[in-house]
Amino acid sequence: MNLVSRMSLLFLALTTCVGFAHDRFIVPSHTILSGEKTKSVSLTASISNDVFHPDRPLGDNGKGWVPPSLKAYFDRMETTVILPDGSKDPSFALQSFRRFSAGDLELKQDGTYRISLVHDEAPMVTFTKADGSFGRAFGKEARVPEGATKVVRKTTASRVETFVTRNNANRAAIQPTGHLLELAGSAHPNDLFVGEAVSFQLFHAGKPLAKPAEVVLVRGGTRHRNQRDKIEATTDATGTFEVVFPEAGFYLLQTEVMVPGRPGSGMQEHWYSLFVTLEVFPM
Amino acid sequence: MTGLFCFFLCWAGPAAMPTATMHIELPKLDVSPYFRPYVAIWLESPDRQGVHTIEVWYEEDTWLKDMRQWWRKLGRADSARYDGVTGATRKAGTHRITWDGRDADGKAVPPGDYFLNFEAAREEGGREFMRQKITIGGASQHYQLEGKNELGKIQIHIHGAKS
Repeated sequence: MNLVSRMSLLFLALTTCVGFAHDRFIVPSHTILSGEKTKSVSLTASISNDVFHPDRPLGDNGKGWVPPSLKAYFDRMETTVILPDGSKDPSFALQSFRRFSAGDLELKQDGTYRISLVHDEAPMVTFTKADGSFGRAFGKEARVPEGATKVVRKTTASRVETFVTRNNANRAAIQPTGHLLELAGSAHPNDLFVGEAVSFQLFHAGKPLAKPAEVVLVRGGTRHRNQRDKIEATTDATGTFEVVFPEAGFYLLQTEVMVPGRPGSGMQEHWYSLFVTLEVFPM
Repeated sequence: MTGLFCFFLCWAGPAAMPTATMHIELPKLDVSPYFRPYVAIWLESPDRQGVHTIEVWYEEDTWLKDMRQWWRKLGRADSARYDGVTGATRKAGTHRITWDGRDADGKAVPPGDYFLNFEAAREEGGREFMRQKITIGGASQHYQLEGKNELGKIQIHIHGAKS
C-alpha cells in the first residue's frame, strides 16, 4: 500500500461525512469534585467506535508514542481548556499511548472547566472513480483522478469535549465560543440525573442552529452489550433538544451538521461534527 | 418528673418550639470495613430549589459530593451556608434532630409546601436518598419513612403553627 492510499484510508476513518464516522471522545476520571484543596482529574482520549473503550490514541504532547498514520491528524489538533473564569489554560496536554492518550488537569479554581480537542476546518475532496469506487483526497489543491465523477469539494471540522466542575458549577466556560459546532443550553453538563428532562441547544459559529440536526447519545460500555441503545433527538428551529437519561453512566453525545459552501468559494460543503462526553448520576 | 419536664417545655413557649423534630435511624450493618455514613438533611421547594441545609454529618470535604442530591442543590453553592450545621459522622442508631424553622440567616422559612430530604452515602457502601413533602405553618403532621439500605426508619414530626 502506498503512502497516499494509507493516508486516504486514515482520513476515511477520521472524517465524519455520513457513513464513515469514527467516534472520538475525551473522558474525565471525575466530573464533579468537592473540597477546599486543589483537585486533579485525569483524562483519556481515544478514537474508537466502542463508546469509552479506547482503541487508538487522540492527541500527543510530543512525549508519547504516535502512530505514524495519526501524526498529521494530531499535529492539526488544538487542545484547549477553558477555566471557570473564562480564561484559557495552555498547560493541559495529552500524551499518546498505544490505545489512548492521557493527561492530568489540575483544578485550581472553583467552577466549571471545559476541555476541548478541536480540529479546525480542513479541505478535502470526495469523488467516484472511473471504476465506480469511492475516493477522497486531502488539501485545498487535492488532485482528482482522471475520469472521476460526483466530485465534491468540502471541509471537515470537529470538536471533542467534556466538562468538569470543582465545587460550585458556573457557566463562563460553557458559553458558546463562536467557533465550529458547540453544545450549550439551559442544562448544565455537570448537573445531569436519571429521569430528569434537560434541555440543550446546539450553536454553530456562535448562533443557535436553525436547521434541524440529529443528535445521538450512547451510554458507555457498548463492548459489553449487544445493542447500542441509542437515544435520538432532533433539534428544533432554535437548535434546542430535550433529553431524559434512562440510566446513569457516561454518555457520548454526537451530532454533525453540513453547511453548503458559498457560491464561488470553491467549496460545496462544510461539515462540522461534535462529540461531547456527559456523566449522568442516579437519583 | 414527666410532668415537670412537660411544664418546662410548655414554659419555654411556642416561640422556642422547633418547627420539626426528626428521628433518623442509621442501620447497624454487619460489614467490614464499616465506615459511618455521610448524612445530609435539607429542605427544598416543590420545584426542587434548595432552601436550607438542616444537618450535614461528614469527615472530609472531598467526599461531600457523594451526597449527590444535597451537593447539587445546596452543598456546592456556598459552604458558608451550611458551616453552622455540620458535624462529625454519627454511629449506627437513632438520632434526634430538631430544626427551628429558620434558614442560615436566622430568618423564618415562609409558610408553605416543601420537601424534606434525607441522603446518606457510605464509603465502600451504598447511597440512599429519600424525601417527604411537608407543609410549614399549617397543621401538625407526622410522617414515617422506611429506608432500605443506608437509612433506617425516619420519623418526622412537623409542629403546627399553633401549638
